[in-house]
Amino acid sequence: MGYVEDVKEAVNFVEKQIERTPKVAVVLGSGLGGIKDAVEVSSKVKYSDIPHFPNSTAPGHAGEMIFGKWNGVDVVLMNGRFHYYEGYSMKEITMPIRVFQLLGVKYLFLTNAAGGLNHSFEPGHPMIITDHINFMGDNPLVGKNVDEWGVRFPDMSHAYDPELIKLAEEAAKELTIEYYKGVYIAFSGPNFETPAELKMARYFGADAVGMSTVPEVIVANHGGLRVLGISSITDRAIPEGLEPLTGEEVIKIAEKTGKKIAMIFEKVIDKLER
Amino acid sequence: MKAVEYISQKIKDVPDVAVILGSGLSKLADEVEEAVKIPYKEIPEFLNSTAPGHAGELIYGYVNDKKVLLMNGRFHTYEGYKPADVAYPIRVMKKLGIKRLIVTNAAGGIRTSFKPGELVFIKDIINFSFRNPLRGPNDETEGPRFPDMSQSFSKDWLEEANKSVKEKFGEPLESGTYISVLGPSYETPAEIRMFRKLGADMIGMSTIHEVIVANHIGMKVLGISCVTNMAAGVLDQPLSEEEVLEAGRRVSKHFVALVKHIIEKTC
Repeated sequence: MGYVEDVKEAVNFVEKQIERTPKVAVVLGSGLGGIKDAVEVSSKVKYSDIPHFPNSTAPGHAGEMIFGKWNGVDVVLMNGRFHYYEGYSMKEITMPIRVFQLLGVKYLFLTNAAGGLNHSFEPGHPMIITDHINFMGDNPLVGKNVDEWGVRFPDMSHAYDPELIKLAEEAAKELTIEYYKGVYIAFSGPNFETPAELKMARYFGADAVGMSTVPEVIVANHGGLRVLGISSITDRAIPEGLEPLTGEEVIKIAEKTGKKIAMIFEKVIDKLER
Repeated sequence: MKAVEYISQKIKDVPDVAVILGSGLSKLADEVEEAVKIPYKEIPEFLNSTAPGHAGELIYGYVNDKKVLLMNGRFHTYEGYKPADVAYPIRVMKKLGIKRLIVTNAAGGIRTSFKPGELVFIKDIINFSFRNPLRGPNDETEGPRFPDMSQSFSKDWLEEANKSVKEKFGEPLESGTYISVLGPSYETPAEIRMFRKLGADMIGMSTIHEVIVANHIGMKVLGISCVTNMAAGVLDQPLSEEEVLEAGRRVSKHFVALVKHIIEKTC
C-alpha cells in the first residue's frame, strides 16, 4: 500500500518541523490567504519539501503549511490547496487532510469561493455550509479501506458539525456580519457551469456552487475530524442573465469576503473548548 | 474465457437462473441442495471480494427442482475495481448458458413510506455512479454498441413474480427505482433530497454495472432490494454498516422464502 506509507512519511517529516500539535487546521480557499495575517507564526513548511506531497498550481494559491497560534490556539493553515481539475487524484487532493488527522488535528475549517445559486444571495457575503452535494463523479475513499484511518462506509448525515455551525452563526451575529446558510454543490470544473447546469444544480437543492471542499470533507468525516465550512459568495450563479466570469473578479471579491470569514473563524476558535 | 471452462467442469447442467446475493442476504446459500461451492479465488480471471458481508464463492445446486447458480459475494467499484471487472461474472454466466438473472442488494430507503426490512422489487435504475462498464471498444459478439435500457428490469418477469408473491404471502411487494452511487461514504441528507427529486426510491452502491452488462448481452433481469435502513436525513440517526448487515440478517428468513418461491414459480 504505497499511499499509506507516503502519508506516514509526510507526517513524520512535518512532525519534526513543529513544536506543538495543532488543534485546528484551516484550509484557505481561493483569495482567502489573508487569514494568515492574523496568525502568530511559529514555523512554515513548504509543500515542495514534504515527501510525496503534491504541488499547487491554481492561481492565487501558494504552497505551504503555516503553523502558529491564533488567539492562543495552536493552528495550522493550509495556504494553497489542490483541486481535482488540476489533474490530481482524489487521494492526492486529500493527502493534507490525512496528514492533519495523523498529526492529531481535531477540527478542520474550510473556505472556498463559490457562486451563489440561491436568488437571495448577494456577492461579498459568507455562506456557512450546512451540507453538500458531491457532483464531482469521484470519491477519495475508493479503494481498499485503511481501517486504522476510519470505517469502510462513513456516515455523512452531519458532515458539517452542527455545533460548529451554531458557533459560527453566533460569531457572525456578534460581529454583525451578514451571512447565509446553505448547501454547497461541487462540480469537478475547471470550466464554470453553463446556465442549464446551474438551473439543474438549483433544482437539486444547492445554494452555492464550486469546485472544491467536498473531497476534503469526506476524508475529514472518515478520519473523525469535526468540520466547519464557509463559502465566500463571489458572484451570482443565476442562470437567467449570467454574466461572463473571470478568475480575477472571483479572487477580488473573495479577498473582501475572506476578511469576514477570518473574523468568524477567529471568534469560533475563541469559543472552542480549551 | 478460462473462467467459463473452469466452472463448466464443476457444474453438471446449465442453471435455470443466476442469483447475486447482496450484503447480509447470503442465507439463501444454506438452502441449496447438492451444493457445489466454487471459491472465486480458484476461478481463473475472477476477482476477489473484499466488501463486508460478502463471501466469495459461486454455489451451484438445486432450489426445489430448479437449478441455480448463486453469486455469494459481489464486487463494487468503491473497492477500486473497474466497472467492467465488477460485471465480468455476468458475462461468464451468459457463456454458461444462463438466461435469467436475479440481482439483490441492501439499499437505503429514500421513499419515506418504506420501512427498514422491507423487500422491494426494482422496476428501474438510475446510474449516478459516473461510470459505465461498456466504455471502451465494443465486442459485437457480446452485444450492441448502444444497448437499449428501456426495460433493463423485465416488466413481464416482475409482474409474474409479484403475482406469485401475492398468492403465497398475501401481499405484493412495492416496486421502486434504485439509484446507484459510487460510495463508499454514505450520502449526505442534501444528496438524498436531490435523489428523491430525481425520482429514486432506493439507493445503494452496487447493481448498476451488472444490470448494464446483463442488458448488453441479452439476459432477463429481476431485481429485489432489501431496504435495510432509511437513507441519510430521513431519520435523525447516523448510518452504519452494522445497521445494514443487522437488518439484512433480520429479514433473511423472509427474503430466502420469497426468493425461493419466485425461483420455483417463475424460472
